[in-house]
Amino acid sequence: MDWAVERTGQPVTGNRFAERALRVRVGGVLVFLVLLSFAFGVASRRFLTVENARIIAFNAAILVIAACAEALVVITRNLDVSIGSIMGLAGYLAADLVARAPGLGYAIVLVPLLVGALLGVLNGSLVAYGRVPSIVATLGTLSVYRGVTFIYARGQEVTSTRLPHWMLRGADLMVLGVPSLVIVAVAVVALLTALLSTRPAFRQLYAVGSNPQAAYFYGLRTRRVVLLAYTLSGLLGGLAGFLYAARVGTVTVILARGWELSALAAVVIGGVSIQGGSGNLIGVAFGAIVLATIDNGLVLLGVPEFWRMFIQGAAIILAVGVDALIDRRIRRVLELRRAGRRV
Amino acid sequence: MAGLTFLVKRWEPVLVVLILAAGAWSSTLSPYYLNVDQLFDSSRNFVIPGLLALGLVPVVLTGEIDLSLGSILAVGTILLAKLALLHVPLGVAIAALVATGALLGFLNGLLVASFGLPSLAVTLGTMGAYRGIAFIVGTEEGYTDFDPGYLWLGETALRGIVPVSLLLFALAVVLFAVGVHATVFGRRLFAIGGSLEASRFTGLRVTRIKIQTYVLSGVVSALAALVWIGQYGSARADNADGVILLVITAVVLGGVDINGARGTVLGVTFSVLLLGTLTNGMGLANIPGPTQTVVFGSLLVLSVLVSNVVRWRTA
Amino acid sequence: MDSARLDIRNISKRYGAVEALVDVSFSVAPGEIHALVGENGAGKSTLVKIITGLVPQDAGEILLDGARRTFHTPMDARSAGVTAVYQDPKLFPHLDVAENIFMGVYPTTATGAVDRRGMYLASAELLSRLDVDLWPRSLVAGLSVAELQFVEIARALATDLRLLILDEPTSSLTPTEAGKLFQIVRSLKEHGTSIVFISHRLEEVLELSDRITVLRDGRFIATRPRAELDQGEIVSAMVGRKLTSFFAAEVGGRPPGDVRLLVDRLTRVGAFYDVSFSLRAGEIVGMAGLVGAGRSEIAQTIFGVLKPTSGSVSINGSPVEIRDPMQMIDLGVAYLPEDRDTQGLVTEFSVASNISLPVVGKLSSGGFLRRDRERHLAERYARDFQIKTGDVQDLITSLSGGNRQKAVLAKWLTTNPSVLILDEPTHGIDVGAKIQVHEKIHELARSGIAVLLISSDLPEILGMSDRIIVVADGRVAAELPRAEATQERVLLAASAAHNGA
Repeated sequence: MDWAVERTGQPVTGNRFAERALRVRVGGVLVFLVLLSFAFGVASRRFLTVENARIIAFNAAILVIAACAEALVVITRNLDVSIGSIMGLAGYLAADLVARAPGLGYAIVLVPLLVGALLGVLNGSLVAYGRVPSIVATLGTLSVYRGVTFIYARGQEVTSTRLPHWMLRGADLMVLGVPSLVIVAVAVVALLTALLSTRPAFRQLYAVGSNPQAAYFYGLRTRRVVLLAYTLSGLLGGLAGFLYAARVGTVTVILARGWELSALAAVVIGGVSIQGGSGNLIGVAFGAIVLATIDNGLVLLGVPEFWRMFIQGAAIILAVGVDALIDRRIRRVLELRRAGRRV
Repeated sequence: MAGLTFLVKRWEPVLVVLILAAGAWSSTLSPYYLNVDQLFDSSRNFVIPGLLALGLVPVVLTGEIDLSLGSILAVGTILLAKLALLHVPLGVAIAALVATGALLGFLNGLLVASFGLPSLAVTLGTMGAYRGIAFIVGTEEGYTDFDPGYLWLGETALRGIVPVSLLLFALAVVLFAVGVHATVFGRRLFAIGGSLEASRFTGLRVTRIKIQTYVLSGVVSALAALVWIGQYGSARADNADGVILLVITAVVLGGVDINGARGTVLGVTFSVLLLGTLTNGMGLANIPGPTQTVVFGSLLVLSVLVSNVVRWRTA
Repeated sequence: MDSARLDIRNISKRYGAVEALVDVSFSVAPGEIHALVGENGAGKSTLVKIITGLVPQDAGEILLDGARRTFHTPMDARSAGVTAVYQDPKLFPHLDVAENIFMGVYPTTATGAVDRRGMYLASAELLSRLDVDLWPRSLVAGLSVAELQFVEIARALATDLRLLILDEPTSSLTPTEAGKLFQIVRSLKEHGTSIVFISHRLEEVLELSDRITVLRDGRFIATRPRAELDQGEIVSAMVGRKLTSFFAAEVGGRPPGDVRLLVDRLTRVGAFYDVSFSLRAGEIVGMAGLVGAGRSEIAQTIFGVLKPTSGSVSINGSPVEIRDPMQMIDLGVAYLPEDRDTQGLVTEFSVASNISLPVVGKLSSGGFLRRDRERHLAERYARDFQIKTGDVQDLITSLSGGNRQKAVLAKWLTTNPSVLILDEPTHGIDVGAKIQVHEKIHELARSGIAVLLISSDLPEILGMSDRIIVVADGRVAAELPRAEATQERVLLAASAAHNGA
């Protein structure tokens, strides 16, 4: 299975050099971001302002959360292309419920989290226990979840007038000059990063993605680990969907459609290897910011929105290509280093 | 257990049974179902996904994937729209169409086979990039102004009954069946999908063959665009957005292993027919579009799930 | 109270119609190095899987220090002190050494978080106990094969180790590294750990072990103290019959014919340098060397899979610009790869499709497959090579290892090569099939084919070759005619350059 799984056991990167390389990769995103900002700043006066930075951060916030969700799954060497549908279903359900029963108050937030988690459990079960290849499983659930949203909605949209004030205002809220959504995103990234680097259960995500065969022979409960990744991913997707619903106000059935492509683009640009086993969420956050910056810059420059899709697609290809290049360069250096002591 | 083993060994007969069952169900829904005109007319439903599915088969057999088929089709319809506006003769338009499809497919193949990039990520990217190109060139406009010649393939029905596009599909089925199962090229596809390394060591020109499969799927997708504009009479950059789900469902349901090296063109043909019959039936039953999507999504997942379970039970 | 460390009682395991283990019983004493030998398919790996809890047995029980145990996962077994280290190390390349050692058994802080500092300290201590010089924070991806193996053993030591199972541990190690491994094993023994040591290398088995258990066809044959056995007896027990000779060695060589292959100062930076040699029709030239010396790379470069940096290759006197394997095949060169199942065969294919794959184009009619011709070809070769198969249309996976190897050999003969390069052709196949392959190689040489035999099996190379080229660290260290070649000379040449570097 060539297109989704790398042959196991072969050294990919090496030693201190590789750690540096990984850091280069994440640093590379940062550098790219800086260059991009510079380019846009030169092209448009309105770009390099605090206000604009706030707009970019605001726009990026929800994508950051969705990208984190996607990253968890990609680290285990799987994919989730249903994230947009999870966001849509969870977001719509939450909006609709709170519109009908405003008395639920803040507790409504639990609904999209729970719904997202359940949808994630289904995804994870299909992939881990049903052994359905993740692209097939999540391509299928992408449709099923979106279809369920349509069926539930019966063609209705939830107009913003029906949503509670705290929800709509909360999305626009500023705390000390920082958009509340940004704060949530930062909190999510911080929490997940801490979990991923310090909790034994989460370290196993990397192990399983790095060498699934070794994980099996070692005795790790690979299926449970994958299920955990998908469940948490779904939960985050639910959160992202809820926040997105709050932000758009009028929630339609096509909420967040196509977000899987953006989330995956952010993940890949952010330095997470599509083959799994490595990557950190800071990079992913930067990847999302890069995408938001590109969007923003294009708008300021008056470039039609149509270029957006093209650029996202090209960005994915570029990021994957760069990763492969770095990989190969490192491999070659390693080969030569090992030979160096002979010649 | 023996019955289940038979099922695993021969998936095609099961598909035939399912087609007949779906047909039987559909006929109970509406007195109009078993009408010859209706049946032929409804076959248009599956011609385009069917063509795309056939084009995808060689790619999947080698162990790769191509998600950009729908986007290539969209580029095709927009190209035809623009050429139609310039009143370019049909022959030249088709040549341009094929060339474009080949080029886009070649790009895919280059990235995957020559650069060695993972095809899932790459074609996810080209899916967006090619769709973006369609939007950039076509904007949001819908084009409906076509010379009759352009529309002929997609809209004409011989004797008013048999759609020409259906005949095209039948021809494609034969060509692909022969190409995949009876030629040296086809044998090599299975070899590469089975073991990339062993194929390399046997001297197979793996890179070249993989690029060829992508060029082929690109050309087929582009040609499907010609059918599209005739069938729907219009072109827009969002054409065939999301068709990849149906296409992959057709391929997987048809018994092709998504990891490569296993599957038959006949199986894919049957699954296309099955999906078409279901679409037809569901339409007659007034089952709304979203529900149909749920059905197809479930079918995709279930087809793999069920075959997995059967394999475990009989192991 | 002399309870065994490990007591295997009446273990049976069946996979469908195949009986992998039938009523196997034996025991391993505390602090004993116990070798487990048997041909491929004898049941050794299945037994290891059962002991470590990867698969459950159908019947029988396992006792550890007198207590009945049932392990559900290898982690269970590990916490009870039972760990297996396999031939290809099962580590996580993206994580560092310390994390690989402590995966799943992390030292934790009060809050349940990973105690990184404690982990690095503990790893350093384990590694120094093994006298291995590795930085705990280095990424596993950058380590050599030997280092990977040592990390695996450190991992085993991370929990109280009562029983260590080593499955073919030295097959990818140089003699120096293997020596270090043996040192470690012996010191573990001194500390009371029992070791079950699985190996095809009988010299090692006889050198290291206290007792030896032989399995054959899933059944227990015998356990004997080392002193009571020699190689011949072990092999007899493994195979079930007395063998008179190991290799169909031919005495009295044929005069070699024309030079078929000439390699002149072939270099591939990072793999091998300035390699020159010639191959004549009818000759069997052995290429000896340590694992990692670069022999496979040389062969693969000649065959066109890898690109050379400089130097030239000539076939039948004409220099060739190497482009790809297809070109070399057309010129009459064939290469039988080292790894039979992943590089030599397509496991989804039938026997016939595998054998005919290189020539499927030539057998075709205008691009269309001719299955009848493929079938005849395959049947002809199956008879010629004595490949035991029901029907050539059966899946290749239905064949045993030895028969599969013969099929790969047959596959390459379909291209009518004049130069045949064999890379470890008898690796991992049973003795009976080994002899058949050797006889075949001699037959092919007699018919005029120039044969290059790459092998890590010294007795095999010494027995088969007319001439031996010794490769060390990517260079030709020595060329020995048959009369002058001894095991010592070859080993010396193979290691000399390595140590001198």
